[in-house]
Amino acid sequence: MSRRDRERRGRAGAPGQGKVRRGPRRFTISMQKRLVVLFLIVAAAFLVLAFRLILIQRDNGRSYTMQVLSQQAYDNKSLPYKRGKITDSKGTVLADSQLVYNVIIDASQMLEEEEYLEPSLNAVTRLGIDKEEIRAYVTEHPGSQYYIAKKNLPFQDKRAFEKENQEGAQAEREAQQKAVEKARRQGKPDSEAEKVELVYSNIRGIWFEDNYIRNYPCGTLAADVIGFTVGNNRGSFGLEEFYDETLNGVPGRTYGYLDASLNMEQTTIEPTDGNNLVLTLDANIQSICEKYLKEFNEELKDHKHKGNGSNNAACIVMDVNTGGILAMASEPGFDLNDPYDIKKVAGMPKLNDEDAITTNYLTEAEAEALSDKDRSRYLNALWNNFCISSHFEPGSTAKPFTTAAGLESGKLKTTDTFLCTGYLDVDGTAMKCAHLEGDGMLDVAGAIERSCNVSLMQEAFKIGPEVFCKYQNAFNFGLKTNIDLAGEARTDDYLYAAEDMKNVDLASNSFGQNFEATMIQMAAGYCSLINGGYYYQPHIVERITSASGSTVQTNSPRILKKTISEETSDLIREYCILAVEGDHATGKLARPAGYRIGGKTGTAETHPRKLNQWVVSFLGFAPAEDPQICIYVVLDRINNKKQDEAGRACIVARKIMTELLPYMNIYMTEPLTDEERLELEELGLYDTNERN
Amino acid sequence: MLAKNRYAGKSGPAANAGGTAVKSRETERAGRNRKLNTEASAPAQKKAGIYDYSLLFIVLVLLSLGLVLLYSTSSYIAAVENGDSAFYLKRQLIFTVMGLVLMGMVAFFPYRWWRYLSIPGYLITIALIIMVIPFGREVNGAKRWLYFTDNISLQPSEMAKVSIIILTAFIIELIGRRRLQTAWGFLVPMVPAGIIAVMLWKITNNMSSALLILAIAFGMLFVACPDYKRFVALAAMGIAGCIGIVMYIVRTAEQNNMGFRGGRVLVWLNPQAYADDTGYQTLQALYAIGSGGMFGKGLGQSMQKIVVPEAQNDMIFSIICEELGLFGAISIMILFIMLIWRFILVAGNALDLYGALIVTGVITHISVQVVLNIAVVTNTIPNTGVTLPFISYGGSSLFFLLAEIGMVMCVSRTSVKAEAEYELEHSGG
Repeated sequence: MSRRDRERRGRAGAPGQGKVRRGPRRFTISMQKRLVVLFLIVAAAFLVLAFRLILIQRDNGRSYTMQVLSQQAYDNKSLPYKRGKITDSKGTVLADSQLVYNVIIDASQMLEEEEYLEPSLNAVTRLGIDKEEIRAYVTEHPGSQYYIAKKNLPFQDKRAFEKENQEGAQAEREAQQKAVEKARRQGKPDSEAEKVELVYSNIRGIWFEDNYIRNYPCGTLAADVIGFTVGNNRGSFGLEEFYDETLNGVPGRTYGYLDASLNMEQTTIEPTDGNNLVLTLDANIQSICEKYLKEFNEELKDHKHKGNGSNNAACIVMDVNTGGILAMASEPGFDLNDPYDIKKVAGMPKLNDEDAITTNYLTEAEAEALSDKDRSRYLNALWNNFCISSHFEPGSTAKPFTTAAGLESGKLKTTDTFLCTGYLDVDGTAMKCAHLEGDGMLDVAGAIERSCNVSLMQEAFKIGPEVFCKYQNAFNFGLKTNIDLAGEARTDDYLYAAEDMKNVDLASNSFGQNFEATMIQMAAGYCSLINGGYYYQPHIVERITSASGSTVQTNSPRILKKTISEETSDLIREYCILAVEGDHATGKLARPAGYRIGGKTGTAETHPRKLNQWVVSFLGFAPAEDPQICIYVVLDRINNKKQDEAGRACIVARKIMTELLPYMNIYMTEPLTDEERLELEELGLYDTNERN
Repeated sequence: MLAKNRYAGKSGPAANAGGTAVKSRETERAGRNRKLNTEASAPAQKKAGIYDYSLLFIVLVLLSLGLVLLYSTSSYIAAVENGDSAFYLKRQLIFTVMGLVLMGMVAFFPYRWWRYLSIPGYLITIALIIMVIPFGREVNGAKRWLYFTDNISLQPSEMAKVSIIILTAFIIELIGRRRLQTAWGFLVPMVPAGIIAVMLWKITNNMSSALLILAIAFGMLFVACPDYKRFVALAAMGIAGCIGIVMYIVRTAEQNNMGFRGGRVLVWLNPQAYADDTGYQTLQALYAIGSGGMFGKGLGQSMQKIVVPEAQNDMIFSIICEELGLFGAISIMILFIMLIWRFILVAGNALDLYGALIVTGVITHISVQVVLNIAVVTNTIPNTGVTLPFISYGGSSLFFLLAEIGMVMCVSRTSVKAEAEYELEHSGG
């Protein structure tokens, strides 16, 4: 805007002034100048603002862009999947996930119209939710659209609630319709019809969200084996932990996003439910085992001291020809639906600072008073599966293994005889036999029958440490069996290596002291001794099925190795039958009425020896001619003055087998005595197994 | 080309008389054309409707740009709220068409007649503002709207802007230039504006419109008065006053007892501190601007339109920045500058003081509103609800704005016509 321009403009305007009719007051040149000043001010303001825009871009462009992108999460919700079921071999459900509902309150919907609030709040009460609590929440957060008012509402309750609402709303609609018709008949317009009070039709802002909770229909049954879940979907202990990934599915997701034309697209990816487990375990066999373990525990409860009937009472029943676990039970147990119940730890031995057990026992009052840290220590001890996680010196049940090693390696002949004088002097240490008076001259079979330590020590010296250790390894002692359960212990630290093995160690190892094994190691090894030498992988899951029921994976029996030959196996079987049936047999008490079985008792002193505490056990098989099951009963430190009574384990094993064998459709082969007949009649087993 | 020639032929002299400093190619060409065509086309021009085509062109560009941008920013919220992504677009389109019809009508309505309508118009406006007290409907927490039906509403504050323009121009014309220099003469034209401003502030709680109305009257006075000193003094006082108020608010911020305007000042100074509540809109608008870059994300690609509250209203400029970038934003600002420059030409060329003052009022209205809007969006001043003329969604605003444009066109048309007649007289006889 140069001066010359303005002058020219002035001149240009001038000629018109006189001739053209102008308004009463002319817009003067000075006003025009001021207009330009106004324009310049506006232009300056624009310039400042443009500069401001550039500054925002320059200084904050990057961070603001990131901010914008970070705000782009739209309506993203995870949909729960259903965790897989666990069923036993017969289809009994041991664990499954139940559909339940979370009650969601949408405050903004409830408040949308005034007449919605009260009916909705009243409806909430029907779901067992405090009305005033919701009222307070809704008033405080009028914009809230998602508030979980109640969790885990059972399906029936939700259905009843929805049904009532639906029927109520329907009735109100019909009533309104009738009122309108009535008004029409009277010639009034619809708007003047009688107003029906709307209660159900005005319920708003109550939603249900799917959720699953883990449910264990059988409660305490096989609790140690199954394990439980934390936060519904994280497995803890047992199968739940071991097969956590298999059981868990993939959560679904609904999310909204904006498509190219900025429409909100809602996409739902359906959740994939988890796979199911079908076990080799049979809930009936399991409950038989648990019944008698419990019975034993009840019998000796508070017997010598306050506390459980034994530190642990456990039983494994295995299919000899597949390695499948038919039952795996241990006492004390717990309720899977309430695993944190601290009352269950009462009666357990107290733990010292290193979590090792002591000879004091926890009373119920003490259990209740435990600190949080101690609670978890004791609960962990309770949740542990004794059958796979605890190890102990097996005692005489190891004798068939020693004998098998000797026979198989050729170091031992069936005709070899040994003299027992009640003790054996090993490098200056007098190692006692169970029978201090001495067993006299025994052959290999007799040594097993009478469970003679001295004979076994002499067998072991014949075998020698190298071969002995080689066979311990062959029987998988000290190593994990890799059974498909969480928490299996490895016990190789408790075994000797051949080069470190002194004569004393070899001698004590021969009758099952001085090395430690888990129950599952013993049972799996024993199966191979009697089934012809086939070491099957012990397993508990028979197959994995998908949510729709099709089989995803089958765990067929897997032979891991051949431990001994058929011939040796035949001999061991024979010896074990002798150990139950023989005149001097230690396992006589284990024979169930009507059957022939084989087996070996075990009485092992625990560390420290001075406490005179014992683990008694019976490891056997049935039936004798065609072994199908292997049963291993272990009673850990029974609540009795005299703990070294293997007979108690035999009695438990006998009781279990008395029920178990008929259940498995194994026919009786032996005549029944009158006493036995009475016993069976009492159990209700006689009729079904009547023979001529 | 024909239209341009015709336009050039007629407005050429007017443009010169108005004093164009912008030696654009167009005006040069216009000058050439004038020389070539004056004789031949002059009689023809007389019969045709005479319009300021370049003004019309800029307005139409702004309107159509506004519709496109409005659709882009409002489609999401419209789809969510109304289930029809074109909900705002359709309504705005209707307003635009109606507004254009009104503009055409006003353009042919002799502007000097507005003088006689100014006082009734003013009284009607006041009546409407008072009617807001019993009949107004609250929208977004402010009671500013009069609803005739559920779909047809009116914001009296928009009408107040037009009525203040025609009334103040009338008063200034009556008082005359000389008497304006006295204190009394200076104050009287501000009285009606002051009354309306206080009413808007107190009744509709709409301070931004009140300020805008004062600014319109003030701007008209500024152009009419032959004196700079008092304006410089007033401006200095105004700036000092603002600084004083801001400092007072900051100092007493702890006491926490000021109204929402005080709070807005605090938000303005530090929007991040209030990111979750009162600072949310400002901050999200800044994010939108910052994320736009030089050329933006492209039309319709804004992510922030979902997040920024009132994106189709007060905050539309931030979405423009995001979608069209610095380039688009500044282009729109240049369009407004061009529009205002056209107004200046019209005002300078007006036949009489009344016409020139009307145009001045429109200039002040539009320019102050644009500046305030962009300043708010860029957090240059505290947040206050001002829409962006021609682009933001809003029927009342658009309607009265186009009426104002009609008035400007009428002033332009009258002066061009008179000029043409004069030249015709001179050349012809």
